[in-house]
Amino acid sequence: MKPNMQQTPRVRSLTTIAIATAITMLSACYSNNCPLDNNVLCNFSFHDSYGTPVQYNDTITVTTLMPGHKTIYTYRKMGNKTVVKDVPAPELVEQGYTETVSQQRNDTILLNNLCAATSMSLPMSYYRNRDTLIVSYRSISAKDTIWIDHDSYPYVELPECGTYRYHTLLGIKSTAAAIDHIEITNPHVDYEGNTNIKIYFNGAAETPDE
Amino acid sequence: MKARTATYILLLTIASALPSGLHAQQPQTAAQQPAYPAAQQGKTDTKGMTVLMPGETPKPTKYVEVKEQEQHLVFFQGFNISADVYGPAAYALSDYGWAEGALRLNLKNTFFPIVEIGYAKCEKADVNTSITYNVSAPYGRIGVDINILKNKFQDNRLYLGARYGISKFKYDMSGPAISDPIWGGSEPYDIKGIDCTSSWAEFIFGVEVKMYKNFHMGWAVRYKREISSTKSLNAKPSCIPGYGYTTNSTCWSASYSLIFDLNWGKKKNTKKGVSISIKDIPTETTDSPTTPDDEEQEEEEIETNEIEEGVETTTEKRGK
Repeated sequence: MKPNMQQTPRVRSLTTIAIATAITMLSACYSNNCPLDNNVLCNFSFHDSYGTPVQYNDTITVTTLMPGHKTIYTYRKMGNKTVVKDVPAPELVEQGYTETVSQQRNDTILLNNLCAATSMSLPMSYYRNRDTLIVSYRSISAKDTIWIDHDSYPYVELPECGTYRYHTLLGIKSTAAAIDHIEITNPHVDYEGNTNIKIYFNGAAETPDE
Repeated sequence: MKARTATYILLLTIASALPSGLHAQQPQTAAQQPAYPAAQQGKTDTKGMTVLMPGETPKPTKYVEVKEQEQHLVFFQGFNISADVYGPAAYALSDYGWAEGALRLNLKNTFFPIVEIGYAKCEKADVNTSITYNVSAPYGRIGVDINILKNKFQDNRLYLGARYGISKFKYDMSGPAISDPIWGGSEPYDIKGIDCTSSWAEFIFGVEVKMYKNFHMGWAVRYKREISSTKSLNAKPSCIPGYGYTTNSTCWSASYSLIFDLNWGKKKNTKKGVSISIKDIPTETTDSPTTPDDEEQEEEEIETNEIEEGVETTTEKRGK
């Protein structure tokens, strides 16, 4: 027997073990790396007009306009508070209120009564190029409107993780009731949690020296 | 008297055997040298055989030269071609499989530069999300294997290797429609022909065993690390041809190869041992003119290889 053939049985045994192990591992090696926090949200951070991050102490409610319209019934009477209802109120007419019927865009509340926050996160529409956000404040009667232009596209990280809808911010503008100015800091809206938009409110943050 | 006659007969036999019958001799070991296997006698009979007369001292005509021979491997040892049978088996058992062949150079039975070409296919559908992924594309790898066995003369190999792999491919992804929960609307997810180029590195540990003549079989375990992939706006490749699933940035794979050694252009190796040459002793200068036959030196050489089991004759040359 030649010396090079002396190791063959041992190596053949190793070969058999390796094949069996490999076939076993073929179906055994599986893991799922899907992110746990996978909500795609546009993140806003609050700053004063000079850019200092602040905790905005007012209570904020954010409403967005929806597709379609709804009928609004407005009742007014001299010396009384105006009443707005989604359905007709004949009893108010009997009391002397004047009824006005109008059409308004559908809306829905995205964020309700956010208090003393330094940031907020809002969803974005999947198939619309412009989102309109109406920001209401408790301390002031005026409201701000924010218009966000964006593109949306589907994204699949892994088939087992499902489909997400990412967004790319293209432009932003706002009214100036409580907002000084607004800017895009990161146009890519995904589930990573990065700040996408900075809102600069009127005024300056109080410092300890002041 | 009988003893002297027997001595004469023995010497005659040896002397007559040398010119033509040396190839029949058994190979000699180093312990037997030096030796004087024949004697020279000035007189010859009618058949050309040496006759040793009583009272004459036999003169040695040949001697055995023994040289230690160093181990020497020829640099170019030929080509290997191989086919992987693990890929088709993997395709039968899972969503991903491949067919692969390789061409490998054998340098000193130690270094094996290799080129691997394959075609991989992946058809994956997730049961939970109903998202499907399809890709089928060629791929290539280049690298080197290093035989780490101490004895490089044997036909079995235990090796470590490294590869650089690359694949340019297009993949399709599709899934159920995505509905907007707030603003409404729905759109199917079906994207085809997403371009991607991926590269990766592999580190290999493997074994090869000689099965029959030039036919080897061997397995290898491969550790792969993704280097880069072209980013797409809509998806990340779930499976890269030649690499595998991209669930993690690294993955394990295996191969089981059928290997054929093609010894084109390969020269014979010299193994460690002794080389034994039997040569004529130069005769004293005589007045008689030399003939071409006399100038030719009879030389017979037996190369003997000492391996563990003993002495093995490998070549035999004869000068005359």
